[in-house]
Amino acid sequence: MLQVENTQFTIVMLLYFASMLLYFAFIAVKKDGVAKVAVGLQIAGLALHTAALICRGIGAGRLPLTNQYEFATSFAWGLCLVSLIFVLKFKFPVLGAFSAPVVFLIIGYAAMQSKEVKNLMPALRSNWLGFHVSTAIIAYGAFGVSFVLGVIFLLRQRMRDSGFLDQHIPKREKLDVIAYRSVSLGLLFLTFTIVTGAIWAERAWGSYWSWDPKETWSLVTWIIYAAYLHLRLRRGWEGRAAAIFAVIGFVCVIFTYIGVNTFLPGIHSYA
Amino acid sequence: MKAIKKTWKFLCSMRFAIILLVVLAIACSVGSLVTQGQSYDWYAQRYSERTAGLIVALGLDDAFHSIWFIVITAFLCLNLLLCNLTRLPQLIRRTQAEGKPDGALRTQGDVTSERVPDPEAAFARLRMPRPEPCKTEDGRKALFSSKHRAGLWGAWVCHLGILLLILGFGLGQMTQKQYTVYGVPGDAKPIGDTGWMLEIDDFTIGLREDATVEQYTAAISVYSPEGGDATRESAEISVNHPATLKGLKFYQNSTGWATRVNVLKDGAPLQDAVVCAGDFLPVADKPDLVVYLNAFYPDYVLTPGVGPSTASADMNNPAWLYSVYYQGRLLGMNALMDGEELTVDEYTFTFTDTQNFTLIQIKEDHFAWLALLGGIATMLGLLLAFYVQPARVWAVQETDGSWTLHGACRKGGTIFREKFAQAAGGREGTAEEEP
Ligand code: HEM
Repeated sequence: MLQVENTQFTIVMLLYFASMLLYFAFIAVKKDGVAKVAVGLQIAGLALHTAALICRGIGAGRLPLTNQYEFATSFAWGLCLVSLIFVLKFKFPVLGAFSAPVVFLIIGYAAMQSKEVKNLMPALRSNWLGFHVSTAIIAYGAFGVSFVLGVIFLLRQRMRDSGFLDQHIPKREKLDVIAYRSVSLGLLFLTFTIVTGAIWAERAWGSYWSWDPKETWSLVTWIIYAAYLHLRLRRGWEGRAAAIFAVIGFVCVIFTYIGVNTFLPGIHSYA
Repeated sequence: MKAIKKTWKFLCSMRFAIILLVVLAIACSVGSLVTQGQSYDWYAQRYSERTAGLIVALGLDDAFHSIWFIVITAFLCLNLLLCNLTRLPQLIRRTQAEGKPDGALRTQGDVTSERVPDPEAAFARLRMPRPEPCKTEDGRKALFSSKHRAGLWGAWVCHLGILLLILGFGLGQMTQKQYTVYGVPGDAKPIGDTGWMLEIDDFTIGLREDATVEQYTAAISVYSPEGGDATRESAEISVNHPATLKGLKFYQNSTGWATRVNVLKDGAPLQDAVVCAGDFLPVADKPDLVVYLNAFYPDYVLTPGVGPSTASADMNNPAWLYSVYYQGRLLGMNALMDGEELTVDEYTFTFTDTQNFTLIQIKEDHFAWLALLGGIATMLGLLLAFYVQPARVWAVQETDGSWTLHGACRKGGTIFREKFAQAAGGREGTAEEEP
C-alpha cells in the first residue's frame, strides 16, 4: 500500500505541476480553453491525491495525519480542494493560477519530509486527533485561498485594466466578498480545530490549554482573522486593508505550522 | 458628563474591540517568543543583563499570568459584555421586525427588479419560503417572505461564547487544584490535602511487536483512610482515557523506572524504600548521606568514550547509574547491577525488584464545563454568522399591474445581487450601494 502511495504521490506532483503550467499558459495566451484543461488536470490530481491519502491511511492502519510529511501532503490537498471549490463556484480560474504555485510549494515541502511510517505514541492515539487535524486542513486550505485572494486584490490595483483582467478577475467588491467567504470558512474550521485540540489535550495531558507555543500561535492566527472580520465591517476598511490582513493572517498560519516547530519547541514538537 | 459618555461609548465600541484584539495578538506572540518560566540569570545568560531586567520587570517571564495580560483580557471581556448588552434590545426588535412585512414594504430593497414576470417563481428560485400575501399602506397587493433570521444572532452568540470561554478558563485557573502521585503497584499514597488515598493496583505497559509502546494502563483505587473499603472506588486509566473518582479526575501521565533500595547498617536491616529514577534517598539515621538514582539501563553496556547506554529494551543486564553525596558533596558515581551490593562505610545498599512506576496526575477543575460550553457557543455563533444568512424578499404590485421585486441580504453582498438579478428575470432597478 505504501509503495502504491509513493507512486501516486509522484504522479500527483506531476499533475499539479502540469496544471500549474497550464494555468500560467492561460494567463499568457488568454484562452479560456486552456483554463478548462488546467482545471481538469487539477481535478484529476486532486482525485489521485485523495486516493494516495486513503492508501497511506490503509497502509499505516490509521488516519494519515500525524507527522510533518502526512500533514504537509494533507495541507496541499486541503488547499487544492478549497481553491478548486472557489474556482468552480465563482467561475474564477485566475484564482486557480495563483493558488497552484502555493499548492505546489506545499507538496514540494511534503516531498522533502521523511515518509517513514512510525508507530504512534500513546498520546497521539485518539479520535479527537482525527477531528483536530482534519479540521485544521480545511482551515489552512481556506486561509491559503484568502491569502491568494488578498494577493490578487493587491496586484489588481497595480495592474492596468485590460479586457482580459476585467473579464476574469471579479470587481473589487466581489473579490472582497469572496475573500470574506474564504476567511469565514477558515475561521469556523480553525475554531473547530482549537476546540477539538483543547478537548484532546485535556484527555491526553490533563490540561485543555497550556500556552504551548503552537497553541498560542493558533490563537494569534485566530485573533488576526477575528480582527479582519471586524475591520471589514467598518466602512472604508474593506478592500485593501482587509487584503493586507488576509496576507498577514496566512503568514501566521505558516509560522504556526512550520516556524513554531523549528523555533519554539513545545509539547507539539512531533507534528 | 460628556467625558463619561464618551468613555462609555468607547468601551462599548467595535473600534476598542479591534484595538484590544490587535494588542492581544501582539501580547500572545511576545509571550510565545520569550521562553517562559526561567530565572533572571537564565535570561541574562541568554540575552543580556539589560534585556533580562526588562523581561523580569515587565513580567514577560510569565506573560500569560502577568497583570497586564489579565488587564487586556478583562477589558476584552468588558467590551464584549457591553457590546452584547447594548445591542440586545435592538437585536430582539430587529429579529421581530424582519419576520413581518410592515417595515420592508415601506422601503426599497438593497436590490430591486422591475417588471418581474412571475414573482412567485422568483421567490422559489431564490429558495425563499412561500411568500405570504399582504398589502402596502396604500392598499396595493404585495408578497413577503423572510428566512434565516437566526443568522442575525450569530455574532451575538459567538461573543457570548467567547465571554463564557474566557470566564470558564479564568475561574478554572484561579480555583483548580492539581496533584501528582507516583508509585508502583501496591503503593497507597495520600492525594495532597484532599483527604483521599490513591492506591495503585496495577500498572502495565502495552508493547507492540517492535517494542514501541502502545499504551500505558494503570488500575487505581481511591478511598478514605477512615472509611476504609466501604469508600473505595476503582477505575482503569490510560493515556487519552482519564477517569473521574470522588469528583477528582485522574490522568495516566507518564512513567519511569523505580527500584527497591535496601539499606543494611553493619549487616542489620535499617531501611527499605522504593525510589524512582531522578529521586534521592537520604539514609535514615544519617540524612547527610544521600543516594541519588541517576538513570536505569535494562540492558546495560558501557562504551568507552560514549558512556553508559542500553542495548535493548529487555531486562538482559539491568543496572542503575547512581551517585552518592555526603553533605552535598559528590563522593562518587557508578553503575550497580540489580542485586549487587554497594558498601559506603558501615552501610550496605542493594537495588532489587526494579520495575516501572506510574506518574498519575490528579485534577479538580469545576469550571471546565463552562469553558467547553463557551467553545460550543462560539462555534455555533460562527456557524450562524457565516452560513445562516438572513434574507428578505418582497414583491409589490405597481399601479400599472406589474410587479417589482425587492431583496435584502446584508451578508450576501454582490453574490446575492447576482443571484437576485438572475432569479427575478425582470429589469434591474436602482440598487443601493451595499453596506
Ligand atoms: C475574540 C473576539 C471576537 C470574535 C471572535 C468576534 C467574532 C465576530 C464575528 C464572527 C462577527 C460576525 C462578523 C460577520 O458576520 O462578518 C462579529 C461581529 C461583530 N462584532 Fe465581534 N468578535 C469578537 C470580539 C468583539 C468585541 C470585543 C466586540 C465589542 C464591541 C465586537 C463587536 C462586534 C460587532 C458590533 C459586530 C457586528 C455584528 C453584526 O453585524 O451583527 N466583537 N464578531
